[in-house]
Amino acid sequence: MTARTQTDSKQLSLSKLVERIPDGASIAVGGSFLHRSPNGVARELVRQGKRNIEIVKQSPGYDIDLLCRAGVVDRARTGIVAIEGNFGLAPHYREAVESGALELEEHSCATLTAGLRASVFGNPFQLCAGIDGSDLAELNGWVKIDDPYGSGRHGWAIPYIRPDYAILHVNEITGDGDARVLGTSHWDRVMSRAAEKVLIVAERKVDKAEFQKAPNLTLVPHFLVDAYSVAPGTAWPGSCWPDYEVDYPAVEQYLEAGDEAFDMHLRSAPEALEAKHD
Amino acid sequence: MIETLVQDVEPDATSAFEYMVVNLARFIRPNEVTFSGVNSTFPMLACLLAKRAYDFPFTYVNVAGGVDPTPDSVPVSSSDPLLTTGTASIFDNEDFYDLSCRGGMDLSFLGAAQIDGKGRTNNSVIGSWTHPKVRLPGGGGAAVMLPTANRCVTWRTEHSKRTLVNELDFVTADGGMHGLVTPLAVFELIEGALALKSYNPATSLETVRERTGFGFSSQGAGPTPPPTRRELQGLHSLDPDGSIAADNEVSVK
Repeated sequence: MTARTQTDSKQLSLSKLVERIPDGASIAVGGSFLHRSPNGVARELVRQGKRNIEIVKQSPGYDIDLLCRAGVVDRARTGIVAIEGNFGLAPHYREAVESGALELEEHSCATLTAGLRASVFGNPFQLCAGIDGSDLAELNGWVKIDDPYGSGRHGWAIPYIRPDYAILHVNEITGDGDARVLGTSHWDRVMSRAAEKVLIVAERKVDKAEFQKAPNLTLVPHFLVDAYSVAPGTAWPGSCWPDYEVDYPAVEQYLEAGDEAFDMHLRSAPEALEAKHD
Repeated sequence: MIETLVQDVEPDATSAFEYMVVNLARFIRPNEVTFSGVNSTFPMLACLLAKRAYDFPFTYVNVAGGVDPTPDSVPVSSSDPLLTTGTASIFDNEDFYDLSCRGGMDLSFLGAAQIDGKGRTNNSVIGSWTHPKVRLPGGGGAAVMLPTANRCVTWRTEHSKRTLVNELDFVTADGGMHGLVTPLAVFELIEGALALKSYNPATSLETVRERTGFGFSSQGAGPTPPPTRRELQGLHSLDPDGSIAADNEVSVK
């Protein structure tokens, strides 16, 4: 009985999970601002010294700021970036854009979703409403398309966005890799369908029977999931509702300037403390 | 009875914080769908206040996925999952943008770094986009919501010529803000231009004009009616120890 089942072979440690992401990969990151973002993965990307990563996320914050601080990312497609809470702008992200270290493709949240939906639907582009009068259209070269059926209405064609990986932080996962979140799924669902591969970090593993009782709650079925890790607490310092809330003192500590403060922050993360026990 | 209460005016001086939250809440109308998003402490408070202070029904949808939530306390982050407390459904990020796109969003509160006289907004950059002096957060949903929601309302805690400008550094979103609330004044869009609706009794029309970068009509504008007792009670019940007000310091100065 020591042989692992085929399904359990999808389970990896957090560091092994992140080893799968090659330099240069484009990754869609789940969650929103300080809430249910896979921050343990972001920190592990830093520890493994990954480079030239692209972040795709409507509303990143701590995660992209951390990755800019460590020089992991060089491209991003985003709608709004801030630490939020009472912390405002994301300082290292701001610095990276201003210095040219980060190449930004600025979106509205809904245009980024439209680009992801184009991939979900298997189309080269997806029409999006609104946008009229925004300088973002010209900046990004978005094309306005009149309704070919003559309604007189129009939409803006947003080119498809196909990230290499979607990385999601969820509450629960089965041994097979079925995943579900409690509360809002933010943009996790569209990301999971738009990306080539899906990697999941879960707070806990539960029996498949639990999922079978309420299959409509499952966000990502196992066959879409490439690999997963069970790493409780690692959305820290963000929240993972209803398991834990934002750790604001830790966010404040993260924002202290200097390498020493940054190292201390990385060392005090739940996955780092866990590894020490191993 | 209720009407009497609503008209019952609190005589004490209103703080700039109270002025902003209450005047944002006054844009909320009966039986409409109203939305508040990320980085939006003032609108979040305004929506929760309106639920407590006004007798009419309306639907409050927020970025945390909550629909008419009933949180016991107010979170620091306006996208906190606490804002789903008591919700009977989760209306996620894709859902509320789609609702706006198809014309079903009545009122959306959208933030702005700069606002011009036409009610357009810049959330992207100070300086040029390619060589920014300051990279700002970005507009979030603004470029799609401002043109598609029936009405949008914005707020600025700083009322100055660098925030209320004649010319935006970058047009993140067009479509015309229906309303703008600052510590000094309330503006409303009339025939494509922001016009002064009323000003904080703690300041003057001259000061508002002096500190606004765009020209505006002030026809019919007078001092803003002070908060009612119920509005103030509602706000104080949301922030009993004043810590949210302390975290969001704002002044008429």
